[in-house]
Amino acid sequence: MKTSRIGRVTVWDRLGTLVLFLGAILWLIPLVWTVLISVRPPGETIVTGNIFFGSRITLENFEETFRIVDWRVGYGATLIFVFGVLAAQLVTITLAGFAFARLKFFGKRVLFTLILVQIMIPSAVLLVPNFSTIRALGLYDNRLGLMLPYFGSAFGTFLMRQAFRQVPLDLEDAARLDGCSWIGLLRHVYLPASIPTLVAFGLISITARWNEFLWPLMVTRSDENRPLAVLLAQVQRTNEVGALYGQTMAGVLIVIATLLILFIFFQRQFINSFVRSGLR
Amino acid sequence: MTATTSPRLKTATYGGWRTRLGRAVLPYFLIFPTFALILTFTLWPTVSAAMQSTIRTPSSARMAPRFVGLQNYIDLFTPTTEVGQTFPRVFVGTLVFAGVTVPISMGLSFLLAVMLNRKIRGLGFFRFAFFYPVVIPLIGAGSIFSFIFADNIGLLNTVLRSFGVQTHPWLGDATWAPIAVMMVAIWKQTGFYMILYLAGLQSLPTDVYEAADLDGANSWVKTTRITLPLLSGTTLFVLTTAAANAFQMVDQLYALGEGAPADRSNLMLYFIFQRYNERANTGYVNAITVILLVILLAFTLFNFIVIERKVYYEN
Repeated sequence: MKTSRIGRVTVWDRLGTLVLFLGAILWLIPLVWTVLISVRPPGETIVTGNIFFGSRITLENFEETFRIVDWRVGYGATLIFVFGVLAAQLVTITLAGFAFARLKFFGKRVLFTLILVQIMIPSAVLLVPNFSTIRALGLYDNRLGLMLPYFGSAFGTFLMRQAFRQVPLDLEDAARLDGCSWIGLLRHVYLPASIPTLVAFGLISITARWNEFLWPLMVTRSDENRPLAVLLAQVQRTNEVGALYGQTMAGVLIVIATLLILFIFFQRQFINSFVRSGLR
Repeated sequence: MTATTSPRLKTATYGGWRTRLGRAVLPYFLIFPTFALILTFTLWPTVSAAMQSTIRTPSSARMAPRFVGLQNYIDLFTPTTEVGQTFPRVFVGTLVFAGVTVPISMGLSFLLAVMLNRKIRGLGFFRFAFFYPVVIPLIGAGSIFSFIFADNIGLLNTVLRSFGVQTHPWLGDATWAPIAVMMVAIWKQTGFYMILYLAGLQSLPTDVYEAADLDGANSWVKTTRITLPLLSGTTLFVLTTAAANAFQMVDQLYALGEGAPADRSNLMLYFIFQRYNERANTGYVNAITVILLVILLAFTLFNFIVIERKVYYEN
């Protein structure tokens, strides 16, 4: 555990650091090569010329991908998808979390258990029946249809319930004596006290939605409704025949850049969120 | 304070819901959106998949769908049917995928967490290196690895060639294609389990280790005899999470040959997606959905039973 004072342990520690370093390099190779291949001149495979940079550094691959898909539209569609879902989730999980944390009512346990089933059965598995539902609702190839299955979140409800239960009851009593309504209570007492939980849930939700693939691929058809991950698949498919990996890697970078940059700047928050999501 | 205020609180109401009826309805009003959504997109589809899995979609539009009992499930495992020629392979492939990726990524993540849980320089660098795959999309990971394993100009073959080693068509190979699919999953998930283990490690008591140090125990002994048993709660949790994830990680297949060659690298959830697009008998895809659901519920049940028995549950 802690670096020990005993000599022979330090040898193990050094070895550990070496293994760690080699592992980190191995884990970084895919990212490094994605960057290198994307800025190589198209048509120059890594066999030809300078193995790392080719004959020059160029953005041609990025420009070429715009012939296949319009990333700007995809970026907009992704933002609408990600934040549309998050906004709806924040409302539903706050309301339900509050009820389960602080109100007494008939059937509370049963309803809570039924909601928690969603943690065990992820919507990814219910691809086929949910697709039928969305089509029956007339929401195929529609932004709302894309988002709707994610609006309710058992995980979020559970997190908010836990957070609200930590709020001291005295605080609520005081606010109620001042004539606060339940909405006022939520706004002035419960939500301010639960900001870390909201941030944690928000980061998890944003990451998950940003990276969603099979569901958007299935329920959308027109380009303007398709998020970035689906556009990337189109680029991948188009370039597969010609083995134009420069363009595909440029596409990968365009899709992953936003979250990667956010992750670099908010490493601690991201990791804390994922730990919380794990320890539900 | 509570003693003096409680009589007044009895009359206090949540504004806007002053009547008795209003107070009784409020909780249901608050829960309604979440419950209705989960009913529509989780509970009902589960039931509906189970019902649809007993129905045969007719080959011609004029015939009505008919009830066939468990015949769809039987067909899936009967070699003489069209679906039965491929599905058993995909079923076994999925179990192998889970059986290989879960232990490897868990073992790696535990080792990494133990090595990182020291006073070490460059912690931020290491955390970034191992965790960044978690925040990128699985389809992106698939695209990157499709370049690594590509035939002529792929990274792996280029490296092999420069060492004078025979190159190999990795993704066209019945042995290597599934391994490539597994490598993407291991690469992507290890960092997530690593931070779960790190959180577990940081909650461990230090006095046990001080006692072990006094007894002259080395790192190996401390890790296997103290850390591992104390973390059994975390391990159980990571195991159930990893197992559940393993049955959902299929996006990379889109970029890695869609199960090629001959469904050797295919996985159940992706198979469902493919078959549904092909408009095959929907009874089959629903039956496969139910099989996936049963597997996932079995893990949850296992987790529940073990925790109920409180087998060494520290956290």
